[in-house]
Amino acid sequence: MAILNVNDNSLYNSYEYKISSAVEALKEEFGQQFSTSTSVREQHTSTTTVHKSELPDCVVFAESKEDVQKIVKICNEHGCPIIPFGVGSSLEGHLNATFGGVSIDMNNLNKIIEVHPEDSTVVVQPGVTREQLNTYLRDTGLFFPIDPGANASIGGMTSTRASGTNAVRYGTMKDNVISLEVVMPNGEIIKTANRARKSSAGYDLTRLIVGSEGTLGVITEITLKLYGIPEEIGAGRCTFPSVKDATDAVILTIQAGIPVARIELLDVAQVKAVNNYSKLNLPESPLLLLEFHGSKSSVKEQSELFNEISKDFGGDNFEWTSNIEERNKLWKARHDVYYAVKACRPEAQYIATDVCVPISRLSECIMDTIDDMEEHSLFGPIVGHVGDGNFHVQLLIDPKIKKEVEVANGFLERLAHRAINMDGTCTGEHGVGQGKKQYLIDELGATVDFMKRIKNELDPKGIMNPGKIL
Amino acid sequence: MDGNISSWSTNDYDKESIRLCVEKIKEEFGQQFSNSKSILEQHSHTMTIHTSELPDGVVFVESKEDVQRVVQICGEYKCPIIPFGVGSSFEGHVNAPFGGISIDMNNMNKILNVYPEDLLVVVQPGVTREQLNTHLRDTGLFFPIDPGANASIGGMTATRASGTNAVKYGTMKDNVIALEVVTADGQLIKTANKARKSSAGYDLTRLMVGSEGTLGISTEITLKLYGIPEVIAGGRVSFPSVKDATDAVIMTIQSGIPVARIEFLDLAQVKAINNYSKTNLPEAPLLLLEFHGSDASVKEQSELFGEIASDHGGNDFEWTSNNEERNKLWKARHDAYWSCKAVRPEADIYSTDVCVPISKLSDCMIETIEDMEQNGLIGPIVSHAGDGNFHVALLIDKNSKEEFKKLDQFLARISERAIRMDGTCTGEHGIGQGKRKYMLKELGNAVDVMKQIKHAFDPHKIMNPGKLFL
Repeated sequence: MAILNVNDNSLYNSYEYKISSAVEALKEEFGQQFSTSTSVREQHTSTTTVHKSELPDCVVFAESKEDVQKIVKICNEHGCPIIPFGVGSSLEGHLNATFGGVSIDMNNLNKIIEVHPEDSTVVVQPGVTREQLNTYLRDTGLFFPIDPGANASIGGMTSTRASGTNAVRYGTMKDNVISLEVVMPNGEIIKTANRARKSSAGYDLTRLIVGSEGTLGVITEITLKLYGIPEEIGAGRCTFPSVKDATDAVILTIQAGIPVARIELLDVAQVKAVNNYSKLNLPESPLLLLEFHGSKSSVKEQSELFNEISKDFGGDNFEWTSNIEERNKLWKARHDVYYAVKACRPEAQYIATDVCVPISRLSECIMDTIDDMEEHSLFGPIVGHVGDGNFHVQLLIDPKIKKEVEVANGFLERLAHRAINMDGTCTGEHGVGQGKKQYLIDELGATVDFMKRIKNELDPKGIMNPGKIL
Repeated sequence: MDGNISSWSTNDYDKESIRLCVEKIKEEFGQQFSNSKSILEQHSHTMTIHTSELPDGVVFVESKEDVQRVVQICGEYKCPIIPFGVGSSFEGHVNAPFGGISIDMNNMNKILNVYPEDLLVVVQPGVTREQLNTHLRDTGLFFPIDPGANASIGGMTATRASGTNAVKYGTMKDNVIALEVVTADGQLIKTANKARKSSAGYDLTRLMVGSEGTLGISTEITLKLYGIPEVIAGGRVSFPSVKDATDAVIMTIQSGIPVARIEFLDLAQVKAINNYSKTNLPEAPLLLLEFHGSDASVKEQSELFGEIASDHGGNDFEWTSNNEERNKLWKARHDAYWSCKAVRPEADIYSTDVCVPISKLSDCMIETIEDMEQNGLIGPIVSHAGDGNFHVALLIDKNSKEEFKKLDQFLARISERAIRMDGTCTGEHGIGQGKRKYMLKELGNAVDVMKQIKHAFDPHKIMNPGKLFL
């Protein structure tokens, strides 16, 4: 569905893409693994977002790193764009084929190659999803924490530097990828690191590829850190008089070194939406949801410490439990967020955007954003991974009403600039894709030229996911 | 030890041009410039047994503008630039194999801004870690990374340093939020804003961290801070074998005990300490531990660890949260360096490090110990066991060619051993001049990708030439 169009692609004008000959060669090479059917191609664009779908010329379902290497070599020879595709849950148009080309579907590269329980590491193929991985790991007592919400593929999560609700404790993909195997634009396979948990050996190519959104190469193997499943998980819920009180409580919690595992804020609009949808009776006031991981006594201690802090900031009725059913009840408000928002205006399209600021500026940024929406008659409940200073606005827009679309575009730009002006970033975890290229320049200025230099050096023909980030 | 400089051609740098460059810098910087023999000697490598290679001049910069100006002048004359902190690096990082200008960063030692609510600090690169922590004391916050030496934050960033508490707090890669960098073409860029996470474009922060001054010069560094733990406890326990000790470490980490330091000392190191410090430690592998947290949590961690230790034959686990007692328990570790020196007072210490997946740590250390025995080398081992990282402090007579040769062969074997075990030739010291050939063995064609990045950032090869790449 086409709503947004803030997408300057002049950078790519110099490339001479030769697609049809590449498509022919791929068809010959891949037979049954190759498709040009419209429905398959339509599935392999960015469909979860409001960016206009741009179809690839063909889709190849890769089965092995050798397949990927072959595709890249053919595309490199002909000069044909390549767009790696996981489950398609990204939000900024990452999977669109702006210049046509081949979408590489990675979903059949879904093997969990090796678990190393003693090292707390696992090697997976990029098509493995995070739920698949955690189901597989259950018997080992280990888990992979990063949870962006969707059941995303590990390859996709790596490419967008994903994080989510428990980044406050376990970090983001950048912190949890140990090593990558990557097919580079020239078709060579490199390994960015061995399996040691730390290394000072040369440039950190692992971290360069993490978050590069498929623009530098195609990932074929990922080595991840794992963690012991906590002995005890506690959950808590607490209402605050204001967003400021809630974020002040969060700041103190983190300063005090309470190793909170998740700490999520829901603004009043979101609480109301959840009350309506899930038939809850939460006070219509900003809400914090928490999760604590540790031993029995440590979870208890963390909860009690947080309770004291919350009281200092007017927190009301802090409840906590380590019973799994009770825990799910407490967190129901969070789990139902997506559908609760949808239900507010069923005919509308949902635009999810995110920014991230230093936590001291978080309440100001959220309040200014709420005021902005009120002023412009926009409706967008807010959920925040507040321990990171990261929050999401879920705008509900009717794409048929041109005025609304324009207002939404203006809002997204103001939001990005607000975060940047507060020394934050235009995206905490969604990535740049097509939608935030201009904001990236607004945020980092001349630094973006150095990203371009890297891109040009490693991908001189511009075949790797062109039209994204830069 | 002469580095092999074959692919850095001396033809890249014109002697006359460097002379003119030095003249120009002398003219512009007056009192801030020196080329006295003693100053030049201080600014080449003094800590290691790599042959010192003197720069042609030293500039004591006072500001980012100074750095920018020096880089601009050096760019004009294609003159090498070597940034210099406190000179505590190990692998010949601050040598000037092609001459050029050493930029002494020590006067850029201001702590620019502390953001207690955001747990951030912005510092200049010449700030040392002890200076920073002294400054922070009143805020209740601290910067954890502790490589042993009172290194500069700029140098620690450049080598991706870590140290004893990386097991809990990570390495420099995990604790640098943003950098301001003077690039090879004299531009000033910032790699990120101050949000704690970001998905905005390529991770240039992580690219610069560990790049050893070969891509640019950091002029400002934004770091993560942590609350000073309410209680710090120390522990000590001996094990029957290396394997028992590392098994206890593995179990500790798998159980999610958030140990802050977990240091292993091998038999040779324990003996050296008993001799030097007049202690009576059992002559057996030793683990030293530190726990951070609340009273209750530290107690719980210590007790849990105590149980794990005794399951693996650990003897007489002692722990305390009394500050003086703790220092007594840890004395063995604090005296490691001097106790090694005392084993062979006429020798120099050559310190090397490798890092392997923790499941391979005992194998790697045992093979290394056997290797030294077979070859008549003395090198006590200290390991940051939680990371799989260990150091060998080889005692070598500088004047013995034969010992040097043995050392060289040993270093090749230990690096190959670590690489064969899926580890790295350096966990925290960096590549510099000394480990270039091992990095090539470790990462193969990925090193070509690093060279491409180097070329994209520094086409004239003026930034710290002769390092990282053969």
